[in-house]
Amino acid sequence: MHKINDYTKSREYFIRAEKVIPSGIYGHQGPAEGCYIPIEAFPLFSERAQGSYIWDVDGNKFIDYMCAYGPNILGYNDPDVDEAAAKQRKKGDCTTLPSTKMIELAELLVDTVASADWAFFAKNGNDVTTLAIMTARAYTKRKKIIFFKGYYHGVSPWTQKIDYSGIIEEDIVNNIYLDWNDFQAVEEAFEKYKGQIAAVIGQPYMHGNFMDNQMPEKDFWQKVRKICTDNDTVLVIDDVRAGFRMDIAGSDHYFGFEADLICFCKALANGYNVSALCGKEFLKNTVSGMSYTGSYWLSAVPFAAAIACINKMKKINCPKILIEKGKMLKDGLIASANKYGYDLHVTGIESLFYLRIANDPSLMLHQEWIAECVKRGVFFTNHHNHFINASLTEKDIKQTVEIADEAFSVIKNRHS
Amino acid sequence: MKDNRTLSYINLFAILGAIPKLCQECDEARRLIENDEISIGFSVKNGPRATLIFDKGECKMVEGIEKCNIKLSFSKPEKFNGMIDGTVTPIPSKGFTKIGFLLKKFIPLTDLLSKYLRASEDDLKDEKFFKTSTLVMFYVITEAMSQIGNQDKVGMFSASNIVDGIARITIKGEESAYIVCDDHKLKTVHLHIDDYTSYMEFADINLARALFDGKVNAVSAVGLGNVRIGGMVSMVDNLNRILDRVSYYLA
Repeated sequence: MHKINDYTKSREYFIRAEKVIPSGIYGHQGPAEGCYIPIEAFPLFSERAQGSYIWDVDGNKFIDYMCAYGPNILGYNDPDVDEAAAKQRKKGDCTTLPSTKMIELAELLVDTVASADWAFFAKNGNDVTTLAIMTARAYTKRKKIIFFKGYYHGVSPWTQKIDYSGIIEEDIVNNIYLDWNDFQAVEEAFEKYKGQIAAVIGQPYMHGNFMDNQMPEKDFWQKVRKICTDNDTVLVIDDVRAGFRMDIAGSDHYFGFEADLICFCKALANGYNVSALCGKEFLKNTVSGMSYTGSYWLSAVPFAAAIACINKMKKINCPKILIEKGKMLKDGLIASANKYGYDLHVTGIESLFYLRIANDPSLMLHQEWIAECVKRGVFFTNHHNHFINASLTEKDIKQTVEIADEAFSVIKNRHS
Repeated sequence: MKDNRTLSYINLFAILGAIPKLCQECDEARRLIENDEISIGFSVKNGPRATLIFDKGECKMVEGIEKCNIKLSFSKPEKFNGMIDGTVTPIPSKGFTKIGFLLKKFIPLTDLLSKYLRASEDDLKDEKFFKTSTLVMFYVITEAMSQIGNQDKVGMFSASNIVDGIARITIKGEESAYIVCDDHKLKTVHLHIDDYTSYMEFADINLARALFDGKVNAVSAVGLGNVRIGGMVSMVDNLNRILDRVSYYLA
């Protein structure tokens, strides 16, 4: 039997945080949006991290399958990335003139990402998805954008919906929401709004929450690519979440097509703060003419980290080993679930897997199982896809499956 | 912008619809109607229609106006909403001989409802008043959620993202309301339902009241464990977006 974690200090810190920070911890790392159910099962604040592990403020150690929601791809505190960052920090980071590291990183991305002829840098995924949409509108002189339901492209008003707090109708009036994999709907939208669609934006596959993730149907992206080309519409791939976990050359490359614009962040620099929009040559002048920048966007340390990260990902063939590790975990979890009569769905690519116990459509059983895993030191979340990192070992996977097995036995006993 | 038609549905089914709940919870309300057998139909052109039926101290609301003794007709939602906020005096189109009930019983009953829904700080110091006020408010809010999800443009967008199922909303130790979603149409049910798809539970009546009054933030309360959510959380998430619209309409 594994020990059950105590989170006394996490609770105390949350009470302190809630007094001075709106909602205590906001956004996806907060207990509400993060679906920490029940709250008592989850830690709230971390003390440190190393490799595949995080330690919370109560000293509990977790095998971390959220990887900071994606940035941790090589392992926390990867020595090669940290060394490159440290060397650059000694030289300078946020300075009046940009470092030539910016050029090196752009050249590396152009050589690495199949559809990239240039790279533009910012800080967060939202910065570059927004730039992609602005670019598409500037280039086409059109307004409308096609989205696929279940999407997440950031938090700017254009990405949100009419019923979100602070959003007005004018923010989203040009958004067209279509079902994932429904190419007929795409065709109908192009017909209905002929000459008005600036961009189609999509994640490489549907990794929405609360439902099994869905891969593109055969030729879906090829058909979308063609209809965009035929209508002079810009095709944007939001690879912020999946980037470098499917294919080092970009997730569009994995599925055999080329985006006009592709957005990266999360795994780009193993936790150092940088994002990138890469694109086709024909859009470079458009981006050149735009007013778009930020105080820290040209900082050199994250550039150095990203260069080291990309080089190491290429050297170790990172997507391949992440998918292999994810496959090993997936097989172990499914076999354990089957032992107890549970139908565990593990969907999406194995390096970015989504979990759902399908026996109970209300998801309450699933939430019970996740809670029992977390309480024993495996950090899963209820309704978000998970992330594999390269430092995860077979021993970690074995221990994860052991804990998952114990968690299955607990919920089985509870409901028998 | 508030949509008058949506507001008329809220005013009829959530505000006037709370009169039966008030009669259950409040002796003063019950005494007002203890000897009456009468029904009032409300008919709003291009809007809602429902009847309040009073039966010797008990009261219920039914949809439609087929069985009313007194009929109040309104030419448009704005007129009906005007009656609720006191700027329009309705004239019955049926039941002239029963106008005394309207003046002597129904109006005092709605005044009493206002007293509980727009409670003063002093009144709320009384424990029994506090509880009745909060439970009636809970009834109004949960009913209004369905009306907004079915009628308001933004609410309907939220409802369009809700999967079929039942959400249970509970004030722990007090009572629950269930919002049934069927093909993106919402219906609030106040009877116990065993199986539900998702839940949102307020730790106690004080916390519920603080949330209703906007003194506590629901997201913080989740982190503190004072609001519990679970099950199909996307349902709760979308209902919360509708809940935001409730405070906007009822403000």
